[in-house]
Amino acid sequence: MLKKIRKIISLVVVFAFLPSFVFPASLNLEERVIEHTLKNGLKILMMERHQSPTVAAYIRFNVGSVDEVTGNSGIAHMLEHMLFKGTRTLGTTDYKKEKFLIDLINRVAGFLADEKRKGLKTDPEKIQKLEKKIKELQAEHKKFVISDEFSQLYSKNGGVGFNAGTSADGTTYIIQLPSNKLELWAAIESDRMREPVLREFYQERAVVMEERRMRVENSAWGKLYEQFLASAFTAHPYGVPIIGWASDIQNLNRTETKKFLKTYYAPNNAVMGIVGDINPQEVIGLIEKYFGDILTQPSPPPVLGQEPEQSGERRVEVIHNAEPQLLIGYHKPTLPSHADFVFDVIDAILSSGRTSRLYKNVVLKKQIATHVSTFGSPGSRYPNLFVFSGTPRHPHTVEELEKAIDEEIEKIKKEPVTKREFQKVINQLEASMIRGLKSNGGMASKLIYYEGVVGDWRYILNHIKELKNITPEDIMKTAQKYLIKSNKTVAFITKENP
Amino acid sequence: MKNIKLFQVICVAAGLIIPCANTSAFKSVHPSKLVYKSIELNPSVPEKTVLENGMVIYTLEDHELPLFNINAVIKTGGIYEPKDMTGLAGMTGEVMRSGGAQSMSWEEIDEKLEFIAGSVETGIGSDSGTAHLSVLKKDIDEGLKIFADILMNPVFDQDKVDLQKKQMIESIRRENDNPGHVAGREFRRLLYGDHPYGRKATIETVSRINRRDLIGFHKKYFHPNSVMLGITGDFNKGEILDKIKMVFKDWGKRKADYPLLENKKVDYPEVPPVRQDLSKSINYIYKDVKQSIIRLGHMGLDIKNPDHYAVILMNYILGGGSFQSRMMKDIRSDRGLAYSVWSHFHLGYRDIGAFSSGAATKLSSTVTVIKRMQKIIQEMREHLVTEQELNEAKEYIINSFVFKFSSTGQIVNRFIKLEYYGLPTNYLEDYLENIKKVSSEEILRVAKKYLKPDQTVVLVVGNKEKFEEPLDVFGPVNEIKLKIQ
Repeated sequence: MLKKIRKIISLVVVFAFLPSFVFPASLNLEERVIEHTLKNGLKILMMERHQSPTVAAYIRFNVGSVDEVTGNSGIAHMLEHMLFKGTRTLGTTDYKKEKFLIDLINRVAGFLADEKRKGLKTDPEKIQKLEKKIKELQAEHKKFVISDEFSQLYSKNGGVGFNAGTSADGTTYIIQLPSNKLELWAAIESDRMREPVLREFYQERAVVMEERRMRVENSAWGKLYEQFLASAFTAHPYGVPIIGWASDIQNLNRTETKKFLKTYYAPNNAVMGIVGDINPQEVIGLIEKYFGDILTQPSPPPVLGQEPEQSGERRVEVIHNAEPQLLIGYHKPTLPSHADFVFDVIDAILSSGRTSRLYKNVVLKKQIATHVSTFGSPGSRYPNLFVFSGTPRHPHTVEELEKAIDEEIEKIKKEPVTKREFQKVINQLEASMIRGLKSNGGMASKLIYYEGVVGDWRYILNHIKELKNITPEDIMKTAQKYLIKSNKTVAFITKENP
Repeated sequence: MKNIKLFQVICVAAGLIIPCANTSAFKSVHPSKLVYKSIELNPSVPEKTVLENGMVIYTLEDHELPLFNINAVIKTGGIYEPKDMTGLAGMTGEVMRSGGAQSMSWEEIDEKLEFIAGSVETGIGSDSGTAHLSVLKKDIDEGLKIFADILMNPVFDQDKVDLQKKQMIESIRRENDNPGHVAGREFRRLLYGDHPYGRKATIETVSRINRRDLIGFHKKYFHPNSVMLGITGDFNKGEILDKIKMVFKDWGKRKADYPLLENKKVDYPEVPPVRQDLSKSINYIYKDVKQSIIRLGHMGLDIKNPDHYAVILMNYILGGGSFQSRMMKDIRSDRGLAYSVWSHFHLGYRDIGAFSSGAATKLSSTVTVIKRMQKIIQEMREHLVTEQELNEAKEYIINSFVFKFSSTGQIVNRFIKLEYYGLPTNYLEDYLENIKKVSSEEILRVAKKYLKPDQTVVLVVGNKEKFEEPLDVFGPVNEIKLKIQ
């Protein structure tokens, strides 16, 4: 009976997909974005785009490394890894049998961690025994594990780009699917949100250590950036690396990670971005059906740290077997403050393209650097940094490069930007908005990011309006206020002799 | 089925905040058993026009947004540069853009393009040259003018040539900073030897190049009949073809444009074939790092080889299918020994491509990981893949096929690439059929044929003092000393 029904269903609804290249799409985001919020607080942002029968489905939780506390750095990212390991239904052949083993492994891992922390009193024989025991238990546990079942289901059904990312501010889970497979996504992701199981924790912790080695220990840039942020931020968790300090990663445990999950992952702390070949009403129905019964959780605790004003310039040297690089940061307010909008203009004028000031003066004219760029860092939920990054060109030094950058800063403070420079910034932003509409994933990402960080995706609409109101005086005053020595952190690589 | 549905409707309609008991919506249908509407894909096909001067143009209108794009491919490449001038092609590609053109200086070009939020970019890689134009619809004429001028009449401003050389030299000075880059570069050299694919620009070769050489390289290879344009965006085909003809009308008309040619045919230097067979070797590069970079590989096949469908599936199962692959499952998920581990058959378009496999792991598990990689490769050569593995690999390729048509640009670029390399432009028509046909016996056959343990080159970048076993457990080790060249 079931087979026959399936056949009928597919016959009835086979339709030739006609890509709509022929019809212009509205450039007006206001009319294109459709919102819906479930009773449990889960918010959905949708945009139709019928260029191809595909859809990008992204979910962002408003929790990142900024929500971590001392000693637990890296837990948000670790949790992101663990959320690929399955649920009570997916990723296991028998959860009831498996649970006992998972808890036992966790307990033995706890004893092992305690023993390792005894310093000089550590008993190496006991360590060996415990490690052996854990390996045995893990081998036993493996019998119940269906490895990477999410990935298997998505791949079989044509899903691409299955991945996730943790930033300072948020954690986003992404996939793109043929548009007829959205129900698969709803089924998997609702299960993942409702009852994930953090299995094979200690193997995955080793993977995260390898990731840290790749991104930081083996990378001059990675090391520099980590030290830079740690120096710029003393009281506020923006100074903590997203991947976590090596010592903290080694101490991560499943119990704490579960707690973190309970505290921060909830439908009321999540926003979905679904962009592509969709019927929004159908999507709403689907999401209500699958996610509607997931419980609201209490609001996660706020981040209480506040970075005090710097009492003077900070300089940090990183010695590494690599050529010099430079990072300079200035503390600034975050969006949607007026200063942040002004910094968006400053950012573009200084480093957007070949006609930007830093490129023209430092790379082309003075030829002190091969690259100079500016950007905001490391997140936007809290006051952050305006950063200059540069690669000096031998035989020029980081000192010379810093001096050249300082000169550009003085100019911005003293000389009003020209009408043409300003108009160029606006033109580029508007064009970028239009080009952005071509990408399902890009749009989904943008919408959920602003909804999560600012609380309203309409920030995207207001952004250009705000920028257009900025005057040359605004720019000079903002630069004069924030781009000052006492507010500055400088980090640079000095080459060590191998 | 019906009962559960009703229950869910009640839940939603009543708007309860408290969930309806323990109804996990999909407990009635496991995600692997869901039923879907089917979609039929009718991808658009670009139209081809060949101009009198030989220029090939593919157009595909796309009125979704007021944008206009051209992606051009030019028959040239690093494979044609003289050995003692390695870097010439790349430099020519860069300075074509940065150095200005006949009717506009580089300052004017940069300023104009950035003010209208448009871009023109050029580059030359090993097998081809590319030129790209992107503007808003309202600026098509301005964009085309600049694009054509850069393509036809770059002036290679001396200051920009000098700057490019300095920047390339700085890049060379930094090439040993990143262990991953070191591994990539040295591995290529081990695989390809003295073939152009194995060479790299050195301070010596770059210093030797001067403005005349760039002008000469451009003059030799850039002609209307060596250019293919792929045009997408909000335009009308008839109108745009007229504009293209107009803007390129003077190209190739003068004898002076063809100083080195007979009958307007470019005399492409002969490129030796990539050597098929390698000798097994173990290679080590010392770098004071915390994580070893491992590469192993040998020569593979090209896309014209009918075995490549089976190879695609075989590689997916081996180490290409991300979390689904054997290498990922074993080395990363099960053993926690790596974050990054993969295998890849580069299906060459011009010539055969290489098989490569890589991983990065802490120093004290380097030898273990190499052994695991070798074991997994050996297993693929000795045993049939399971039915489940084969079906899942096929299903992935079949069901994700739709993503090969996700934008007009992607569609047009593929047509151009296929034609450029002399492949049938309807390559994808039989693709799924060819994939479906592959049996597990086929996979075993290609595994035995194209995975070659006795020709494998192994490279490890790391600090052997900290390895858990000496590298010579694999054979005599050839140590490569790093130096800046």
